Amino acid sequence: MTADLRSGKAGAALGAGRPPDCVPTRARRVTAPWAYLLAAVVLLALVCVYPLAELVHLAFSAVGPTNLIGSWPWAGLANFRAVLANPELMQAVRVTAELTVMLLVSDLVLGFVVASVLVSQSYSTSAVMSLMVFVWALPPLVSGTVWKFLLSSNGAVNSLLGLLGFQPVDFLASPTLALWSVGLVTCWAALPFATLVLRSGMLAVPRDVIEAAAIDGARYGKIQTRIVLPLLRPTMGILAILAVIYSFQGFNFIYVMTEGGPGTATANVPFLAYQQAFTSFELSGGAAIALLALAFVLVLAVPYALSVRHEEHE
Amino acid sequence: MSRRGSRTGAQVGTPPRVLSGIVKVILTVTYLVPLLWIVIEAFKSDNQSLTAPDALIFAPTLATFRTVIGTATGSVLLSLLIAAIATAAVTVVGVPAAYALTRRTSPGWGRVIAVVLTILLILQMVPQPMTVIPLYGVLARWHLLGSVTGLVVADTALVLPFSILLLRPFALAVPKSLYEAAALDGAGNAQIFLRIVIPLLRNGIATVASIVFIIVWGEFIYATNFLTEGSQLPVSALLAEQISIYSANWNRLMALALLTSLPLLAVFLFAQRRLTAGLTLGAVR
Repeated sequence: MTADLRSGKAGAALGAGRPPDCVPTRARRVTAPWAYLLAAVVLLALVCVYPLAELVHLAFSAVGPTNLIGSWPWAGLANFRAVLANPELMQAVRVTAELTVMLLVSDLVLGFVVASVLVSQSYSTSAVMSLMVFVWALPPLVSGTVWKFLLSSNGAVNSLLGLLGFQPVDFLASPTLALWSVGLVTCWAALPFATLVLRSGMLAVPRDVIEAAAIDGARYGKIQTRIVLPLLRPTMGILAILAVIYSFQGFNFIYVMTEGGPGTATANVPFLAYQQAFTSFELSGGAAIALLALAFVLVLAVPYALSVRHEEHE
Repeated sequence: MSRRGSRTGAQVGTPPRVLSGIVKVILTVTYLVPLLWIVIEAFKSDNQSLTAPDALIFAPTLATFRTVIGTATGSVLLSLLIAAIATAAVTVVGVPAAYALTRRTSPGWGRVIAVVLTILLILQMVPQPMTVIPLYGVLARWHLLGSVTGLVVADTALVLPFSILLLRPFALAVPKSLYEAAALDGAGNAQIFLRIVIPLLRNGIATVASIVFIIVWGEFIYATNFLTEGSQLPVSALLAEQISIYSANWNRLMALALLTSLPLLAVFLFAQRRLTAGLTLGAVR
């Protein structure tokens, strides 16, 4: 994500450093190209920013299926009071937190190990890399469906367990295991991205630093933990922020694999918001939950956005 | 001096062969087996799938695939149409915007660029599930609920912020000297944009088009909620619907999943290099 933005850094700096008066008088002064930005700004305002404003509006109104088209009566904080008193929200927060922790561990720890292996260049490396990136490009809908099949009571995983002499396991129907199943599939789907990010970070570690350490007799494990890992800390920080936000995308796998069940065992906060709005048709209740979740995302996203902008400015 | 230290430069700092071999095998199995399972199951008949969903030895049949193609052709065409319109909209609006966001013609404009970029970065991080509810309300108000137009609007909203962010580095990569030379020749924004930026942005446009296609093709949350029941569904929404209805007909579901994946495989083979860089940016979609 930031690799692209950073690659543009040199160009931006070049342009910014050029004093305006070095342009010969004959040259036409290029005016600010505002007309080129206009269409994008209008479209963004209409389809991206306006709906977010409407999310706020919905959350503070009483809107159901009957008055969706029509006037939205002001409800003040009533929706938030109802939502916060709902025990399902606490359960959803717990589910979200557990999914997030699983994703953080998988992205940072497994991601580091996998990136360490896939950083070396060979045919087998690029084959594995391609496979992982392709899986990542597959819609969660497709990968979720396959895993639902593989993990079903008569699915391949249970057949394998049967061959090894184990009893079949209800991966998706057991209240305790369902969350693990959804979580592991989410981690599986996210690992290629974590690997790509950490791998490009590793490739940016200066060769001579690694070579110097190797000449001093440092073994591979020591080089990775003492030199590469500390240098990757900023990359890991960004990846951690993205992992927390991405854990909300567990939504897709929850939707496909368990529909939040059994009971509410696998409903994370975005899924609870969705259920409120589209299963119980309490649009305002759903909007209130979504707004709370969004506020949480923005707490992470705004500093991230500002830091990316800042980096580019330097 | 250690054995490792005496190795050639290219090999220094590479993992021990055994460890790297084991990790690669595990990764290949975990990422390849699910894909193989889609293919295997898609070539089973209803009966074979019902009696032995996990059998690896069976007489493959094209019957399931044929049935699924028969029911899904309309959906595939609709998905292609939606992806094409969304890509066109994003390109037409995004390419000029990417150009505008790279020209710091004055300090004031520089500040505009900074503000717009920050807003784009934040918008790009809003998780999709958070946008379903308000978009539902907005589309209802615009009387676009239940129409393909409404779905296209939603999909465009989904991909627009990161498309502009993704196009911008390509515009930034245009050498400043080209702009300066054009300015010397008395070219204004329009000429610079048409003669320099668009031809040089062809790669960027291809990247964005590939990613927009992948995202729109796989999008199902908007499609299942914003279209009316019984209407023609795009292929992803069809798959989502079939999962909840025919949860036991794995062969049909896998055939449909295979059909959904094939165009993505084509795009992937065509643009893998670009995707690796591009998808990284769009990951938080």
